Amino acid sequence: MKDIFISSSPHIHTPEDISWIMRQVIYALVPGALIGIYFFGIPALMVIAVAVTSCVVIEAISQKALGQKITIKDGSAALTGLLLAMNLPSGAPWWLVVLGSLIAIVLGKQVYGGLGNNPFNPALVARVFLLISFPVQMTTWPQPRSFFAPAADTVTGATPLGALKTAIFEHKSITAAPDINIMDPFLGNIGGSLGEISALALILGGVYLILRRIITWHIPVVYIATVAAFTGLLWLINPGIYADPAFHMIAGGLMLGAFFMATDMVTTPITNKGKVIFAIGCGLITVIIRIWGGYPEGVSFAILIMNAFVPLINRFTKPQKFGAV
Amino acid sequence: MRNVYRKVPDRCHRKDSLMKTFKGGIHPNDKKELVEDNPIAALPLSDHYYVLTQQHIGAPAKPIVKPGDEVKKAQAITEPLGFVSAASHSPTSGRVKEIIQRVHPVTGLLAPCIVIESDGKDEYMPGLPLERDPFSLQKDELIGIIKSSGIVGMGGATFPTHVKLSPPKDKKIDTFIVNGAECEPYLASDYRLMLEEPQRIIDGARIVMRILGVDKAIIGIEDNKPDAIKKMKEIAPPEVQVEVLKVKYPQGAEKQLINALTGRDVPSGGLPMDVGAVVQNTGTCAAIWDACANGIPLIERITSITGRGIKHPKNLRLRVGTPVKDVFEFCGGVVDAAKIIFGGPMMGIAQFTDEIPIMKGTSGILLLTEDDTNLSTYSACISCGRCVEACPMGLIPSDLSKQGEKGMWEKAVGTNLLDCVECGSCTFVCPANRPIVHFVKFLKSLQRAASAKAKGA
Amino acid sequence: MMSSILLIGGIGCVAALILGISSVTFAVKMDPREKAVLDQLPGANCGACGMAGCAAFAHELTVNDQAEMTCPAVNEEALAVISEVLGRSLGGGTSVVACVCCKGSPAETVDRYNYIGPKDCRSAQIIAGGAKGCGFGCLGLGTCVDVCPFSAMYMGEDGLPHVIIERCTGCGKCVEVCPRGIIKLIDKTGNYSVGCISKDTAKVMKQLCKVGCIKCGLCVDICPFEAITVSKDNAALIDQNRCRSCGLCVGVCPTGVITPMRKPEKVSIIAERCKGCAICEQICPVNAISGEIKKPFVVDDSRCIGCGMCIEKCPTDAIERIRS
Repeated sequence: MKDIFISSSPHIHTPEDISWIMRQVIYALVPGALIGIYFFGIPALMVIAVAVTSCVVIEAISQKALGQKITIKDGSAALTGLLLAMNLPSGAPWWLVVLGSLIAIVLGKQVYGGLGNNPFNPALVARVFLLISFPVQMTTWPQPRSFFAPAADTVTGATPLGALKTAIFEHKSITAAPDINIMDPFLGNIGGSLGEISALALILGGVYLILRRIITWHIPVVYIATVAAFTGLLWLINPGIYADPAFHMIAGGLMLGAFFMATDMVTTPITNKGKVIFAIGCGLITVIIRIWGGYPEGVSFAILIMNAFVPLINRFTKPQKFGAV
Repeated sequence: MRNVYRKVPDRCHRKDSLMKTFKGGIHPNDKKELVEDNPIAALPLSDHYYVLTQQHIGAPAKPIVKPGDEVKKAQAITEPLGFVSAASHSPTSGRVKEIIQRVHPVTGLLAPCIVIESDGKDEYMPGLPLERDPFSLQKDELIGIIKSSGIVGMGGATFPTHVKLSPPKDKKIDTFIVNGAECEPYLASDYRLMLEEPQRIIDGARIVMRILGVDKAIIGIEDNKPDAIKKMKEIAPPEVQVEVLKVKYPQGAEKQLINALTGRDVPSGGLPMDVGAVVQNTGTCAAIWDACANGIPLIERITSITGRGIKHPKNLRLRVGTPVKDVFEFCGGVVDAAKIIFGGPMMGIAQFTDEIPIMKGTSGILLLTEDDTNLSTYSACISCGRCVEACPMGLIPSDLSKQGEKGMWEKAVGTNLLDCVECGSCTFVCPANRPIVHFVKFLKSLQRAASAKAKGA
Repeated sequence: MMSSILLIGGIGCVAALILGISSVTFAVKMDPREKAVLDQLPGANCGACGMAGCAAFAHELTVNDQAEMTCPAVNEEALAVISEVLGRSLGGGTSVVACVCCKGSPAETVDRYNYIGPKDCRSAQIIAGGAKGCGFGCLGLGTCVDVCPFSAMYMGEDGLPHVIIERCTGCGKCVEVCPRGIIKLIDKTGNYSVGCISKDTAKVMKQLCKVGCIKCGLCVDICPFEAITVSKDNAALIDQNRCRSCGLCVGVCPTGVITPMRKPEKVSIIAERCKGCAICEQICPVNAISGEIKKPFVVDDSRCIGCGMCIEKCPTDAIERIRS
């Protein structure tokens, strides 16, 4: 019979394939990106556009050069670009963004064999590389202003966590840090990376992903809860040098990290039990770096360190099989 | 936006999340509306019938007729070879034309087939159908009747029933379960049988209870068949209890059915009798009644011909050996089929020709158009974990798929390859389109070859 | 600046010193003979010897003086060295090469269906018996090529696997994985093989493949050494022990299914030495040589199959191989 197809069972399939998943994650990031564009203006839009375009183009070129099938249609390069952009300061120069895309796609993904084979989150690999290599450009934080204000009005300043770290280093107490109205980082009127400023937008996006069953609740909830618990404990011991847990949860890149970076499927454990262990590790390391480390923000490093432990976590959290004797 | 991953059919009259179920599983769109409201129809007599000698698990049966022999309807034409084997019978009266090699729907390779030319008279063997009271017969006599009637599991697995009903003395059976789940999408043959001929099922179940020596039976029916549940509850005697099951694939798999209905786990590498249970399909129970009460062996079954690739989907009472070409013609012809499947869409076997016959285990024939099936190529595993969530046996299908790509069967056995029942839940949900069941089948074939080599050496 | 260079340099030197001393004091004592044997083995760890790799095999050969040379990949020089090192003569090291006995490329055959699944011949075979119409034909998915540890196989443009004879060591891995048993190990010196193993009758086979063996028996009739056998349900088979590579069968086969294993080294006639005796013209199985008596003869190299029969018979050594 002409044109008949034979394959092994099963012969039906869910329509939810990789491109569908990537699209859903991109939709979930849109609120956060829009807030970033609103508060940081056209430069933010440029960063996003440059990041997404360069990631897609670099992936196509590197796959062609290595003689592999070109897979830009699956949307993973575009998603990496968007996530990278969300992690960068909105004033990042275009060459920094392109360099970041190159690192993310080539060193973060392609050298391992492409999507599915990378052990580390590509966007975070790029961000950390840029942070360490170009500390000045990566820690110049434009302050939020209205979208309609002219670009020349942009001033740079410290982020809430940055101010905290400076206060600790210089005065051994957080009371020297400027007071923050908790609604600012919640809604987004605060300095920080392009995508991390509005906790609300990120929570909305994250909840959408959980309801659509793209990610499970385990990593975001346990990660944020661990940070809250650990910082809460410290704050109860000495509120003079430790900020309160609500501040730690809302300020900084925790929301972006917990909902979108630490939930990247390829680089996180495959079972729910494993995810919980991973999230606890991420939470602990994040707080340790924030409180005692040299950097004000620890989310990127925490996630990368825990990515390295994922094969080990997978090994020890295998599900119990049906009818185990 | 279609979301088939978590669809609960809205015909569920109870959104009761406390309904009995098992861990894992998936919710494909059940697509039963294409054919479930069609009452069972019969096909007119065909010119030829093709009875394959292997329509069961176990040793192939041996033909006991030769070309030129006259045969009557229900006459035995093959005999079982060994204990785990089953006889076959002529589906109509006529003459044995030839015994030739024809494509076997299960393997795709050539297999021996007895061709019977029908004489149009459709006459039974003399004396059939009988009228006898099966409850006056002894247990051994009943098993003997079931064996000589060639009855096999009609849910699709085709395991010889007389073997299943003869557990060793040390296995105490206390629960008999009738499988009315019909969890595969598209299929409605068991559903129609329950709606139209429930008495045969109940009576067959009572015979099995007598054989096994149990005093109660459970019929498990999925909640997307509310009128079948109602019908069965109406006519079931007190010793046969009807249980409603949450709609989830693969509820009808033996181990999952036993787990949902009794909470018992069949041990890895074991059988249902190890936890005191025996499961039979509703069609098998009906066939058991026909054999024990009327002396009619297994020569026909209900099959759902469905899918958007056939003009008029129908539920048909088909004789074993009916050429599939005649079936398609009766259903208005093939509209457009990218795949033709014997069985359900999750575990059925794709066919490449229509020159094949209906077999004892053919619960459905699906004609799937290109839109309804999946023809994509696969990519690398992204460790999303959906397969782990879906697997009803608690395995890690993504590991098995990666081992399957490399042929690493020994490592796979270490990660519980042999516990896989090949239900296809993992492959259904995999976003990377990975053919995980195919990899598992491949690894199992390597394991079998290696262990055969070790035995031979 | 100077201090950093000195500091880092100093740490490096100290580390190197520690490593150097450890490599001497903690060195694993290996029997020097074992090392010498290991050096002669190919290092592909293909497992054809029956051991878990070359190191394991070298160890076995050294400690066990009953151990046989089961590695097919050692050549004569290596075998001689190993024999000398171990102080005993080792025979063996088989001299076979793989040969793909199917010429049914997708252009010449029909498929029963479109296959969807892993790109592996064994996987394809277990689902409905494989897409190729002929049950004995190559499925073309390249598992043999993937599994060769010596990169001695490649997938040709015709969709069939080809063996690079020079690299093939006869380890047999490709033979193991082919689900249809199409690959055979034949003597290294052999040159011709029949590219078909079909057991179907000619009538059935003709509908499935244009180039398979139709079991006509012409090759059997023409072979002067009785090296070929064929029957109505077995494709022609050349007995390599009897075959003298004359090439007569190639010339007479109607489907062209008999193939040379190597690229033929064609011949040319050295005009100065040729006396025009015409012996080569008569002996050539494919009528590739022509000329006038007493004048130098000429080889048509589009027809020459490189069998070398003319070189053997030429009384004046006037024919030579064309080395490209």
